[in-house]
Amino acid sequence: MPLFEGLGSGGEKTAVVIDLGAAYTKCGFAGETGPRCIIPSEIQRPGLQQPIRVVQYNINTEELYSNLKEFIHMLYFRHLLVNPRDRRVVIIESILCPSHFRETLTKVFFKHFEVPSVLFAPSHLMSVMTLGINSALVMDCGYTETLVLPVYEGIPILSAWEALPMAGKAIHKELEGQLVEQCTVDTDSSTGQSLPAVIGTIQEEVVEDIKVRTCFVSDLQRGLKIQEAKFNLDGTAERPAPPPDVDYPLDGEKILHIKGSIRDSVIEMLFEQDNEEKSVATLVLDALVKCPIDTRKTLSENLVVIGGTAMLPGFLHRLLAEIRLLVEKPRYQQALSTKTFRLHSPPAKPNCTAWLGGAIFGALQDILGSRSVSRDYYNQTGRIPDWCSLSTPPPESLYDASKTPPPLMKRAFSTEK
Amino acid sequence: MASLLQPERVLYLVNGEKKIRSPLSHLYFCRYCSELRSLECVSHEVDSHYCPSCLENMPSAEAKIKKNRCANCFDCPCCMHTLSTRATNIPAPLPDDPAKTTMKKAYYLACGFCRWTSRDVGMADKSVASGGWQEPDSPHTQRISKLIEFYQQLAQREKLDRDRKKLARRRPYMPLAFAEKYGLASRQRSGVSITGLASLSLKEGEEQREVKLELAQALEEVEPLPEDCYTRPVNLPEVTTLRQRLLLPDLQPPGVLQLHPKHKQLLIKRSLRCRRCEHNLSKPEFNPTSIKFKIQLVAVNYVPEVRILSIPNLRFSKESQVLLTLTNPVESITHVTLQSCESKDPNNINSTAEVLLPSKELMLAGKDAAAEYDELAEPHDFQDDPDVVAFRKSNKLGFFIRVTPQREQGDVIVSFKIRHDFRNLATPLRPGQESGAPSEPVWLRHHVELNLGHLAA
Repeated sequence: MPLFEGLGSGGEKTAVVIDLGAAYTKCGFAGETGPRCIIPSEIQRPGLQQPIRVVQYNINTEELYSNLKEFIHMLYFRHLLVNPRDRRVVIIESILCPSHFRETLTKVFFKHFEVPSVLFAPSHLMSVMTLGINSALVMDCGYTETLVLPVYEGIPILSAWEALPMAGKAIHKELEGQLVEQCTVDTDSSTGQSLPAVIGTIQEEVVEDIKVRTCFVSDLQRGLKIQEAKFNLDGTAERPAPPPDVDYPLDGEKILHIKGSIRDSVIEMLFEQDNEEKSVATLVLDALVKCPIDTRKTLSENLVVIGGTAMLPGFLHRLLAEIRLLVEKPRYQQALSTKTFRLHSPPAKPNCTAWLGGAIFGALQDILGSRSVSRDYYNQTGRIPDWCSLSTPPPESLYDASKTPPPLMKRAFSTEK
Repeated sequence: MASLLQPERVLYLVNGEKKIRSPLSHLYFCRYCSELRSLECVSHEVDSHYCPSCLENMPSAEAKIKKNRCANCFDCPCCMHTLSTRATNIPAPLPDDPAKTTMKKAYYLACGFCRWTSRDVGMADKSVASGGWQEPDSPHTQRISKLIEFYQQLAQREKLDRDRKKLARRRPYMPLAFAEKYGLASRQRSGVSITGLASLSLKEGEEQREVKLELAQALEEVEPLPEDCYTRPVNLPEVTTLRQRLLLPDLQPPGVLQLHPKHKQLLIKRSLRCRRCEHNLSKPEFNPTSIKFKIQLVAVNYVPEVRILSIPNLRFSKESQVLLTLTNPVESITHVTLQSCESKDPNNINSTAEVLLPSKELMLAGKDAAAEYDELAEPHDFQDDPDVVAFRKSNKLGFFIRVTPQREQGDVIVSFKIRHDFRNLATPLRPGQESGAPSEPVWLRHHVELNLGHLAA
């Protein structure tokens, strides 16, 4: 059977595509319409109650290596069920990913799993591929940060990136604070107790579930009123009537009363401008201002928003309204002449868009090999080329990647197809 | 019993890429390299696929087509429990006389745990017990395949370009016509990954047969929240949890009514292979219900195991006798010598006590499965020194070591080398040795660490 398989598909098996996110990892095979699984980027260690997050940047290399090894082992043998040695790997990465992290990740793939090649693909560029266009202003609103990066004619304009640590993690923190402060819990024996008195802390997983199931992003008018009431100290501004409260069962016996005022206001933090007058919406405009003047019109008419946080109900509508409001403000009115903003809707859910782009790129077997870093190259140099490090020679100069034999099964008696 | 209940007490050192200390029961022994291997330094492979629910085996080619999911078993989209098929009778009109009805068998899926049924979400009952349950496709399948087709064309062009460039380098005096045919505008390519990905753009006025792609259109407006969002009470059981959504990555439905049963994910049997010689160390049997192995080179079957039998009260810088046992896993007599570590041994980093080992060679009787039941069997007559050997019982031997703790705090750890002979009964070691005596013993050396616990108070 392996022989037929090899002949039929030109000797190369579909690549594995992995989007290693800070909160969730999306993984699957190239050429498919969606990832096979979306799982938390966490591993369980014996004796530890709390799972360990895999994507951590301030942790020593040794520990990171063993965490990554365990996590990727799980991906291959629990979810993908294929042999790592037979397939190329496409990794969707953030351009802000620290070098030591991607170097450790590469080491895990090449040294431990012995994959034939690895391609690091920037998530913003990959999401543009899902649209069939070449230029777009991409905003990734994920877990740790919101990152805006313009892509023009297929090339990321790196100098114009804008980021803010305002995303899922910040919302969870804010939501937890408000729940602890304002909400009450009913138990079997008593009602109306404060949250910390009953359960101490509230797990992030639960907070996330509350966010996903009950919270939404108010529209612009309402949002502005909520912000006004929040920062208004003399109490003249009236808050719009909050949505109904929600009773959230915590663990079968305890019921948490979630105030309606939390539901519509907690996401406001993304759009409130901080002391530097930055919000998620200004990131888009600031990035535009940094772009060359002749690219701005194209970019503003091709906005793409990806990342799990962008899936909150009402987020996209609010973002667009917010941008249109801001662009009339004096600080942008002079700098930007473009007034039209259009939003794309990629053929996948926002949290899988970057993955889908990677899956499309991974399906291009003609060039995947030549664009990837092969194991031979890695073994020769011990490094992985990086956009921020020009000292590494590009793969082609050292090693003719196109001559890499297709990763046929190393052994004829391998049983996996 | 240092191996069953306290596996971390006796550790063997594995010299892989990384030095790993692990109990012998967790290790493998490569017969061909004659070395210990740990799970870290072997390569894991997918051996066979099976469904954990129905324990059906699935050939890998089929598993690939079915996306690693069982054809017959389903998971509950609500609680991820396995669904069961329920049969019921429903009235159906007779084909020849629509006025009369007859009872007809119908099947639906139900969860025995959370009471979810396929009827809850409006899925029609099926007339056959298995099969027939389809999972909805991604709504974007067509668009995505179109995109892939489009990019594949660009990729092909790039490949052509690259091949031609290589050709051009080799034969600089190419006929002009040939060069014109393919267009000689060579493209600058940089190897840095970000810009390297960029050159995938369509050049104007190229060939006719190109795949036309409808470019995605950006939208002026986005759907706002529904009006009643601000006033309608939320009924939580009708809103899916994040976990339920992520289990259906293509759709990620927000409401419970859009949930649909998902085919059960297969599991695999794994085989292990030595990285150096590429021989299998472990290969399970094909049948999913069998827990046996075709090949299973676990270390306890090949390497004499050291166990701690009794530990006296250990006191700081006072010599005490510790009783250990050695077990012979093979059927032939094994000769074992214990050696203390040299002073500059790089592996000897943990020991906190000095150890005095028996200087003589210890002989371990062969393992004989029947011996246990044969009380009359004459034990082999080994000339044992009673100061060293405490007792003998079939293939086991109890012996004393003398330990002098050197540190006042922490666990007492001693380490030593164990050297034993090993006869490779199976295949010859190297191809050239086939004619030679196959039972030529090899001497193996392992580094062993014993954790003897705290000092006595």
